[in-house]
Amino acid sequence: MVLELQKPRPIWQIMFSTHHTDVGLLYLIMSLGFLFLGGTLALAIRAELFLPGAQIITDSMTFNRIFTVHGTTLIFLFILPFASAVGNYYVPIMVRYKDMAYPKLNAIAFWMIPPSGALIWLGFADFTWYATPPYSVISAPGPAADMWIFGLKILGISSVLGAINFIVTILKCKHPDMSIGQVPLLAWSFLSSSLIILVAIPTFAAALLMLLTDRLGVSGFFNPAMGGDPIAYAHLFWFTFHPEVYVLVIPAIGMMYEIIPRFSRKPIYSYNSGIFAFVLLSIVGFSSWAHHMFATGMSFTEKTVFMIGTLAAVPASAMHVFNFIATMWNGRIKFSTPMMWSVGGIALFFGAGAGGVVNSAMPLDFSTHDTYWVVGHFHLFVMGTIAFGSIGFLYYMFPYVTGRMYNEAMGKVHFFLSFIGTILVFFTQHVLGLYGMPRRVFDYPPIPEWIAMNQIATIGAMIIGVSMAVFLYNIIYSSGKGELANTDDPFGLGGKYYFPFEAKNPSH
Amino acid sequence: MKGIVGLFLVLAVLVLVPAVESALAAGDEPGEYLDRRVVIWNLFFRMMTVMFTVGAVVSGTMIWLVWRFRESHPKAKPTAYEGTDW
Repeated sequence: MVLELQKPRPIWQIMFSTHHTDVGLLYLIMSLGFLFLGGTLALAIRAELFLPGAQIITDSMTFNRIFTVHGTTLIFLFILPFASAVGNYYVPIMVRYKDMAYPKLNAIAFWMIPPSGALIWLGFADFTWYATPPYSVISAPGPAADMWIFGLKILGISSVLGAINFIVTILKCKHPDMSIGQVPLLAWSFLSSSLIILVAIPTFAAALLMLLTDRLGVSGFFNPAMGGDPIAYAHLFWFTFHPEVYVLVIPAIGMMYEIIPRFSRKPIYSYNSGIFAFVLLSIVGFSSWAHHMFATGMSFTEKTVFMIGTLAAVPASAMHVFNFIATMWNGRIKFSTPMMWSVGGIALFFGAGAGGVVNSAMPLDFSTHDTYWVVGHFHLFVMGTIAFGSIGFLYYMFPYVTGRMYNEAMGKVHFFLSFIGTILVFFTQHVLGLYGMPRRVFDYPPIPEWIAMNQIATIGAMIIGVSMAVFLYNIIYSSGKGELANTDDPFGLGGKYYFPFEAKNPSH
Repeated sequence: MKGIVGLFLVLAVLVLVPAVESALAAGDEPGEYLDRRVVIWNLFFRMMTVMFTVGAVVSGTMIWLVWRFRESHPKAKPTAYEGTDW
């Protein structure tokens, strides 16, 4: 890997560079910035819900704005760009090419994100990350809503450009000696998720345009007063954003595929089943979008199809989990920070998946629809699996990026606090949903069970907040003053790092 | 291997059949609300039983795995791949 910070350069050289590690570094820094911004909003939400009544936020409109921007930020401005950072660093090296296939396009895709982040944050829209119609069409205040729509539009274009770049780099630029069946699983994860993006994003791009023209009053696609149908928007949205769940989770699983064999000091148990599971997830991801809409009056046949389509994701997910377990079996596992995050992520992935299976049964979905169960389930996936996999990988790549080691003790404190906090917040929210508390509410009646569970969740969130403060200090301090890393073997594992192929990037 | 396939088939049947059954049983007649609640919660508890059983097995395996194959375990020994090019 290139050691970016060991060779100080003027900042503009990195900013205007098209080299894949420079663009990767920009993605990395920006996504971490948005992680802390979005996380701060999460703390505000949890502080507000600590007790019934207004606590720190004065009105429900402000609360709606906060959770809208929280969700939009962490999904589109943290998780996706972080995955792009990892892909930029690793994919060209893993396929043994000098750079991404289209370096300028790569830089353009990155530079589209800061303006869209600015649009989302300066607008601070209030209609949820789903842009709920007909509210978003009829009465969501502008220009916030319009800025959100434009921000998402730009982010969509950026995602498509990035996806094309990854696909071409992996399929067309890999070393001639390397067959596609030899490309490491992390690169395979980017290939799978990029293909999903190419198929899924255009639908939402169309929906956003329709939403915008509806807001301008020149069309009425989703406006019931003009004969439109908000349910049509739900279909368009979820056709994109259920597969998007896999766009988010597949790279995180790919990162675990990089870490777990390394720290178990064994090759991955089954490389082919990993590929098969990635491809299967990419396909079945498109057969389950309407499970988000069981409560919208779909026919029984439709619901059955989508219920079974949802359950079809279980075998693929289970294959990954069993692959990880089999890899660790008989290994000599070193529990450095990246490994702890990965193993913790697998455990929480399993919990999140189990909740999803239960919830995919349509009669149960009616009971839990729009309750805190859904919030707990979704967040257990994005925080417990995707963020855990991503943060673990950040620790893994830290010595390669900075040339210095992070503080191991602080990394472990960060993990344990985050793990405990995540369980406290999101498992509790599942139960809270079963007790009937609706999601996206600013206030709630003083039911003792609701108050107790909200307080547990808020305490959990504060624990995560403390862990993130430790994390921030650790990465800032260690990148400047940390111990110099032995970049041949920073974790003291022995053996080669780029299984199954060495890093032989001619540019490095 | 056959045992594992059999186990998953049983689990799949335990999840899918009651789900489809109860969805069919829900019907469209008014006045069936209470019955639906019973069916739904019955399904919920059955599925949770399956989930907790599988969850306990997988989580238990992982906890044991983490404890047994850590490098500081007295019985830990180098893997066949250490010091090689894999």
